Amino acid sequence: MSVTLDTPHAPPPRLPAVRWGTAALALAALALAPLFLGNYYLHALIIAMIFLLPAHGLNLILGYTGMLSLAQGVFFGLGAYTSALLAMHFGTPFVVNLFAAAAVAALIALPLGIPALRLRATSFVMCTLGFVVIAQTVAKNWTDLTRGDMGLSGLARPRIGDIVISQIPQYFYLILAVAVLAMLAFIALIRSPAGRCMVAIRDNETLAESLGIPTWTYKLVVFMLSAAFAGLGGSLYAHYETVVSPLVFQMYYSNTILIIVLGGGVGRVPGAIIGSFLFVAVTEALRITPELRLIIYGFVLLLLVFMFPQGLAPLVERGTEWLARLGRKA
Amino acid sequence: MGSFILEQIVNGVITGSMYALVAAGMTMIFGVLRAINFAHGEYYMLGTFGAWLVISKLDAPYAVSIVAGVAIAALIAALIGRLVMQRLVGAPFQAGVLATIGVSLILQNAVILAFGGGYKVFEGGWIEPVQIGSFGMAQQRIVLVVTALAVFAGLEWMVRKTRMGKAIRAVSQNIECCHVNGIDVESVVRRTFLLGTALAALSGVLTAPVNVSVYGGMGESITLKTFAVIVMGGMGNVRGTLIAGILLGVVEALVSGLIGLQYRDSVGFVALLLMLMFRPHGLFTQKARF
Amino acid sequence: MNAAAEPILRVQGLRKNYGGVPALQGVDLEVARGEVCGLIGPNGSGKSTLFDCCTGLQKSDGGRVVLKGTDITGWAMNRIAREGRLLRSFQKTVVFPTMDCEENLVLAGQMARFPGVASTFSIGRASRRRVAALRERARELIEVSGLSRVAHLPAGNLSGGQQKLLQFASMLMPEPEIVLLDEPLAGINPILIERVIQCIESANRQFGITFLIIEHNTDVLMNLSHRVIVLHQGQKLADDTPAAIVRNPQVVEAYLGG
Repeated sequence: MSVTLDTPHAPPPRLPAVRWGTAALALAALALAPLFLGNYYLHALIIAMIFLLPAHGLNLILGYTGMLSLAQGVFFGLGAYTSALLAMHFGTPFVVNLFAAAAVAALIALPLGIPALRLRATSFVMCTLGFVVIAQTVAKNWTDLTRGDMGLSGLARPRIGDIVISQIPQYFYLILAVAVLAMLAFIALIRSPAGRCMVAIRDNETLAESLGIPTWTYKLVVFMLSAAFAGLGGSLYAHYETVVSPLVFQMYYSNTILIIVLGGGVGRVPGAIIGSFLFVAVTEALRITPELRLIIYGFVLLLLVFMFPQGLAPLVERGTEWLARLGRKA
Repeated sequence: MGSFILEQIVNGVITGSMYALVAAGMTMIFGVLRAINFAHGEYYMLGTFGAWLVISKLDAPYAVSIVAGVAIAALIAALIGRLVMQRLVGAPFQAGVLATIGVSLILQNAVILAFGGGYKVFEGGWIEPVQIGSFGMAQQRIVLVVTALAVFAGLEWMVRKTRMGKAIRAVSQNIECCHVNGIDVESVVRRTFLLGTALAALSGVLTAPVNVSVYGGMGESITLKTFAVIVMGGMGNVRGTLIAGILLGVVEALVSGLIGLQYRDSVGFVALLLMLMFRPHGLFTQKARF
Repeated sequence: MNAAAEPILRVQGLRKNYGGVPALQGVDLEVARGEVCGLIGPNGSGKSTLFDCCTGLQKSDGGRVVLKGTDITGWAMNRIAREGRLLRSFQKTVVFPTMDCEENLVLAGQMARFPGVASTFSIGRASRRRVAALRERARELIEVSGLSRVAHLPAGNLSGGQQKLLQFASMLMPEPEIVLLDEPLAGINPILIERVIQCIESANRQFGITFLIIEHNTDVLMNLSHRVIVLHQGQKLADDTPAAIVRNPQVVEAYLGG
C-alpha cells in the first residue's frame, strides 16, 4: 500500500505521552464497560475484540511488509477448528487451546507461504483466494474430522482456575485480557529491529535486500506470525460461540478483516483498533443485516481506494498531535 | 466406456467454451487496466438475473431475455466503468483489487437484498434435444458452442481490423505512449470494460437454461474459475483463454464423470493453485510479464 | 598498488545478456583492497550491469565474481551485502521514504550488528543496546553529512541532494569493506559534489573502505581515483592510472572525445 507522507514538520515531543495516555484512557473505559453496558452492547464489543487479532495479523502483513493477503480468514478458521477439536476430543484447557490454535495456524502457513511468496503481487492475491476455497472445501468434505456442514458444536465453556466462563461479562474480561496481551505483542514486534526491517521491505524491497536484509525470510516469518494472530482470534471465536462450522471460512470474515485494517489505517499501530471498533462493534450493535453490512463494506472500500487511502488513522493522529501541542501553547 | 468418455469430453468442450467467453472478457480488461476484475462473476450473475426477471415478470420469450439480460448488465457496467474502472488507470494494483472487491460486494448483496437470497428457477431456454450421431444434445448446448466460436472470431477480427481493436492493443502495450499519441485511454478502458462484462453477461444468460438455478452469490465461483482460466491462458492473452477455457471444461467433465460430481468445482481451484505455483505466466508463454 | 596482496574483488570472464543483447562480453578486472577505483565508459558499455552482477541483483550468464577470495557468483543480494560486506548505491537515488533519516541509517546498519534474523525479533536488553549504539553512530553520520536540520523528517520529503547524502551515509553505516557507487555525483550542485568527494576520501583513508565508482564527471573522477578502468561494449578496454588513461588513444577515441 503506498503510504503518502503527510507530516511536513517534526512530530511534537510530547506525542508518545499523549498516545499512551489516550490508550490508557480507552483501556480504562473498556474495563469499566460491563458496569454500564448491557449484554447486547458487550457482545458487539466482544466481536470487535475477537476480530482485532486477525486484523493485527493483516496489518502486519499488509501494512508492514506490503503484501495484500485475503487468506486471514483461512487461519482464523483453522484456529477455530483446532481449538474446537482439541477441546472436544481431549478436553484440553482454554490456554492450551489458545496456543495450539496459534501454533497450528503458523505451522500450516509455512508450506502455504513458501510457494506463495515467490509470486508477484497480483498472483499472490489470487493465490490467497485459492487458499480460502481449499479451506472451505476441506472443511465441508473431510467429514470424519470436521463433521462437514454440520460443524462442531457443544464446545465446553472455558475454565480459568475454578471459574467457568459462561456469562457475557466474564467472556468480556477474558477476551479483553487476551486482546490487550496480543496488542502488546504486536507493538513489541513493530518496535523491534525486525519491525524496522518490515517497514523497509514495504518501502523498497530491493533497497532492503541490497542492505543485507533477507527479505524473503522476513516475509515468510511475517506470513506465519500473521497466521498465528488470526489463529488466536479464531480460537477465541470458537470458545465464545461454542460452535464451529465451514461457514467460518466464508469470504465474509476475510472481507471484514480487510475493512478493519484498511478503514482503520493500514501500517499504523492504532489502525486495527479504530477499524475494529468502528466497523465491527458499530455494525454489530446497530444490528445491521449481513447483506447491508457487506454493501456498506463495499462502499467503504471504494471510498478508501479513491479518497482516503490511509483510512481513519490520520485523523486520529492529527487529533493526538493537536492534543500534544495544546500543552505547549498554554 | 469409450462413448461415455466421448460424451464427457463433448460436454466439457461446451461448458469450457462458456468459461472461455467469460475469461476472454476478464483477460481483455486486465490487458488494458492491468487490474484483475474481482467483480467479473457478478456481471455473469447480473446477465442471468436480468434475463430471469424479464422471463418471470414479463413472460418474455427466451430470445428476448438474452438481449435484456445483456443489456441490463451492460447498463450497470457502463455506470461502474465510468465511476470506478476508468479511475483505476495508472493506479497501483492494490487499488484495482480493492475497488473491484468493493464493487463485487455491492452488486452481490444488492441483488440478494432486492430479490432475496433463495435460489430461483430459470425457466427459459432451448432445451429440446437434437440428435447428433448416437446421442442427443439440448439445442441450447449447440447454441453455446456456436456463439463462443462466433464471438472469438469476432474478437480476432476486431483486434486486427478495427480502430477500437488497434486502440486496445496500444493501451495494452504501453499506456504512456498512448497519452502522447492522443489516444483517449479512459475511453478505451471504458469500452473494453463494457465489452468484457457483456461477454460475461452473455455467457451467464446462455448457460442459465442448463444450470437452471439462479441466485445472488452465483458469481463468486465463476470469478474464481475465471482466474484459473486466465492464468492458464496467460494474463492478457485472449486466444489463450479459448484453449485454456475448453481445457478446464474438459478436465472438469472427466473428473466429474469418472471420479465424482462433487469434485467438479474443485478442479478449477486446484488448477489455479498449481498454475500459480509452477507456471504463473501461463501454459503458452515463456516468461512472466506480470 | 600492492600487487602481492589478493585483490578484494576479482571479476573473471563475466558475461550477461539481456534477451539477446550482450551487455557484458567477458569482463576481467580486479580491484585492490583500499583503493579508489574509477569505472568509466560510454552509455551501454555495461557498467551498471557489472554492478548488478557483482552484487547479486542480476544473475550473470557466465564467468565468476570473487570477493575476498570467495566465489560469490550466484549468491543472493542480501548475502553478498551481509556476509561479503559489499554494498552498492543506485543510480536513481533510493531511500526508505516513510522512515526518517535516523531510522534509515539505523536500518542500514542493522544486519551487520545482529547475528541473525531471529535475534532481530527480540526487544531484550542486548537488542536495545545494539540499537542504541546504531542510533549513536547514525547521529554522528547525520551531523557529519549536514543533515541535522532535516533529521526527523520522513526521508521521502527530503530534497534530491539531501537524499543522496543520506544514501551515502547509509553505505557507511554497516562498516562495509567495499562500496560500489553508481554515479554518486549525478544531478547535484557543485557544493554537494565537494562534500561527497570529501566523504569518499575520508571514508577511504580513515576506514580503509575500497571504492569502485561509476561516474561520468571524469574530471572529478580522475582526481579522486588511484586507478581507472574503462569499459567499452561490454569488455574492458583499459586499466591504468588516471594520468595514463587520459593519454590512452583508444580511450580518448571511444569515450573522452578525440
